[in-house]
Amino acid sequence: MGVVEIDPSVTPARERNRQARTAWGLTAPALALMFLILLVPVVIAALLSFTNYSLGNSGFEWVGTKNYDRLFTRSTYEKMFIATFTYVVTVVPISVALGLGAALLVNALGRIGDIYKTIYFLPVMATLLAMAIVWEFMLHPTIGMVNQTFELACGTVLERIPFFANGCAEGFPLWLGDRDYAIWVICFIGIWQGFGFNMVLYLAGLTSVHRELYHAAEMDGAKSAWERFRLVTWPALGPTTVFVVTISCIRAFQVFDTVEAFWPQGGGPNKSTYVMMFAIFEKGVQQNLIGIGSAITMLFLIFVMFLTLIQRWLVERKVHY
Amino acid sequence: MARDLWKHLVLIIGAIIVLAPFYMMVSYSFKSPGEIDRGEGGFFGRQELMVDERCVKLRDPNRDEIAAVAAQYPGKTDRQIREEIMAVAETECSMRPVVFNYSKAFVEAPLLRYLLNGIIVTVSIFAIQVLVALPAAYALAKLKFWGRDAVFGLVLFCLLIPVHAIALPLYIMLAKLGLTNTYAALVVPWTISVFGIFLMRQFFMTVPDDLIDAARMDGMSEFAIVWRVMLPTAVPALLAFAIFSIVAHWNDYFWPRIVVTGSRDLFTPPLGLREFKGDADGSFFGPMMATATIIVTPLIVAFLIAQRRFIEGITLSGMK
Amino acid sequence: MKTTATAMTLALVASAAMAEDKVTIEFAYPYSHLFDVTYEAMMPAFKEAHPNIEVKFRATYESYEDGTNTVLREAVAGNLPDVTMQGLNRQQPLVDKGIAQSLEPFIAGEADFEKDGYHEAMLSLSTFDDAVYGLPFSVSLPVGYYNMDILREGGIEELPTSWDDVIAACKTMKANGIDNPIFWGWNITGNWFMQALLWSQDSAIVDNGRVTLDSPEALVALEQMQEIFTECEMQNLEWKAALASFSAGEIGMMFWSTSALGAVERSQGDFELVTGPFPGFDGKPMGLPAGGNAAMLTSTSDDPKVREAAWTWLKYITSGDGAAEVAKTTGYMPPNKAANEIILADFYEQNPNKQTAVDQLPLLRDWLAYPGDNGLAITQVIYDSMERIVTGDATDMKELQQELVEEVADLLPNG
Repeated sequence: MGVVEIDPSVTPARERNRQARTAWGLTAPALALMFLILLVPVVIAALLSFTNYSLGNSGFEWVGTKNYDRLFTRSTYEKMFIATFTYVVTVVPISVALGLGAALLVNALGRIGDIYKTIYFLPVMATLLAMAIVWEFMLHPTIGMVNQTFELACGTVLERIPFFANGCAEGFPLWLGDRDYAIWVICFIGIWQGFGFNMVLYLAGLTSVHRELYHAAEMDGAKSAWERFRLVTWPALGPTTVFVVTISCIRAFQVFDTVEAFWPQGGGPNKSTYVMMFAIFEKGVQQNLIGIGSAITMLFLIFVMFLTLIQRWLVERKVHY
Repeated sequence: MARDLWKHLVLIIGAIIVLAPFYMMVSYSFKSPGEIDRGEGGFFGRQELMVDERCVKLRDPNRDEIAAVAAQYPGKTDRQIREEIMAVAETECSMRPVVFNYSKAFVEAPLLRYLLNGIIVTVSIFAIQVLVALPAAYALAKLKFWGRDAVFGLVLFCLLIPVHAIALPLYIMLAKLGLTNTYAALVVPWTISVFGIFLMRQFFMTVPDDLIDAARMDGMSEFAIVWRVMLPTAVPALLAFAIFSIVAHWNDYFWPRIVVTGSRDLFTPPLGLREFKGDADGSFFGPMMATATIIVTPLIVAFLIAQRRFIEGITLSGMK
Repeated sequence: MKTTATAMTLALVASAAMAEDKVTIEFAYPYSHLFDVTYEAMMPAFKEAHPNIEVKFRATYESYEDGTNTVLREAVAGNLPDVTMQGLNRQQPLVDKGIAQSLEPFIAGEADFEKDGYHEAMLSLSTFDDAVYGLPFSVSLPVGYYNMDILREGGIEELPTSWDDVIAACKTMKANGIDNPIFWGWNITGNWFMQALLWSQDSAIVDNGRVTLDSPEALVALEQMQEIFTECEMQNLEWKAALASFSAGEIGMMFWSTSALGAVERSQGDFELVTGPFPGFDGKPMGLPAGGNAAMLTSTSDDPKVREAAWTWLKYITSGDGAAEVAKTTGYMPPNKAANEIILADFYEQNPNKQTAVDQLPLLRDWLAYPGDNGLAITQVIYDSMERIVTGDATDMKELQQELVEEVADLLPNG
């Protein structure tokens, strides 16, 4: 057995071929599945969005852009866009901000902070459907805990606030039946469920902020906590923030569990919570209108892809330091 | 010190809001329908005997049944006999609320079966995900081949496609193949985790080449290298990935809701919970909360035990 | 040794033969809160009468709509149950698509079907193209549920007989401090109450294959709903929450199907519950839609034993024994005449609240299905429109009617 000297900078052709063949072999299953499970369905959805197909029918007709026309003219779909965007635009900034805030506070408290870390992460682990049902009961207008707690404020100084004044007089809101409140309830639960996850990501990010940066900032005259945050922490958390915002956005777009749990049919009072995933489910699965379901699917995909690409681009541009 | 106190205050208020539903869930699972309706009884409920109305209704006798036992009630009219039978039924159908709730949870619907399904589905998904992702990640990280960049580009592209978004066409494909309402339908769409491939690739890229060259010199095939050399180094990341995957799929409601219809044998825990929702008269709220508690507990307990690892894992996956 | 072996083999063969005798059929029904008790009550007697038939219960449907869309999906996936309970208005599409099978061959094989209580009026609810496709299991009509304690507190002594009476009652109650005077079940499945308002005026929502939402009667219906919702300031409760609320004693008057009577009585708080006839426009309504569901055969099995077992189960639940349980545990009326032989003689005397629906039987009309493939979507469109009235989003009823007609026209088959 002689010692074979391998010059690592030159890979002989035979070795390259061998590697290539094995590589294709190793990636083949992944490639096949990516193709079958991710790419083919997108193409199918795209095609079907131009038809009036119903599952169970033997054939279908091409209807051109009729489905898309409906999506952009019917008031029902206008409500769908409003509901989805309201949700995303509300939940993402707040859950990211709360996540960051919680992370900063917990980080500053050392070991004791671990308890809070655990508590805040529990909603992320718990089955959302289960917690949604609990929330539904807590939000019952008369026997739910939320309104009962608010009623404790009646007869105290808090009654000065208009919300309480109204509530004590006429009864507190019908949270899930009122078209003005329903979407905010969903947003609240979404934030409740998601901010713990963001907190953990930020905690990880905070550990990688170098101590020396803080010392340097202090020497440059930055005295208050806010200055330290603004000059050192926030910029250092740049990559983390981009990641957190991306993940939060994608998850926010996909909201479904709470909406279907509270309103199995119809998408909320006056369709105020008729989010896109629910619309896809209602049209495509419940009502078997695959054509328009596919059209909504395509729009959904485009939004998600667009968002993710923007964030990728942002990472490239802004966060290199 | 004062600053710390203020921080604690804020965090405690947050904790109360975060924990409120959990507290209510467990508390309701102990209470009787009356206590739930009226919101009384403290955390554990008063645990007074309650009457299971359905049990009582089931024992409501027919005319024949009354005739059959008439001999035991001499001199009484049909109506009086019925009332006595019902009184006995009420006593026998009494039980403590917590017993009622938890026993109904397991009896009304096959909860154990649902939990088992949850385990089968999540473990299968994770196992296949690893089988598919690890070799691909290794090839992308360590092997040189023409088309490597194209494949990685494809992976990045697929990261843009959330599986839930394409549920509709996937469902149609499965329906055409006659595969809805099967374990396959619950598992197959999740077997390709591009996130997993991405994550593992990042990880593998940090493994020193010498380790691999040494293994090659020892005569190991690339395939063997994946499982005997790379896998052990990636355990922390794999653990994180495992937790992600298992939690996500245990809690997944959307996909199973679409793909599983009537047959309860295939219900995953969230679908099982939904069955109780059909109740309008409120008397089954206790058992529903008991079911919710049972479904939510395994993951939370696992999390409490493996916290560190878990959070480490998320950190690793997020940061790389 | 040899004898033991033979004995064991014989035992195995015997048990195998016995096992072979056991037939399993799969069954699905809707509204678990109403019917769980009913089927549970029937099982012991059924098991005794037919020990070799095992009935496997699938997950319950949330509503009649859910039932239909589940069966449609299962038809495509090849996963149909053997017997399914479908809303009376949801039978036709299943018949048209060939999913529900004709029961004529089984009926022909029966010795004395009519004598078993299956009278013609009952079977007509499930007859399409002169063939019977389902056996009606439960029939309901809209009624008013009244919490007499709240009514008296609000100063009302008499039950209202027309919608104007109802509105006047609301106002009186509100003036006397009652917060929640009424819940009107607009959100009940299949636009049932919309059809109720139309039948009250002797108008059918579907006539000769046309949906008649553009008729003057439809406008009257929309306007009446608007009047009730706004004058009474009715809250937009989800129907399950409303039932729970009424049971807890928080609502004065509730207009809903008689079907929930059993469930409400089981869970009601401490108040006097009285049911009254469904009010009409000028006094009594001219007609009311029949609610309820029928058992349909959807088995894809070729095994004659399975089909026979399915038929046996179908017959049992709709026969006198089954029907008696329906009357005892729910507010539905058993369509089978023989039920009255088995229920206690004074059942309705002891349960006067259940008598209300029975009294309205002469008004019984069909619960109509919308033509074409998009029945479920049309139901949703009408539902959404009614909701807009409740939330105050729609204030001009003529405009609402216009929009409604347009959207529904879109979903109807061409021509």
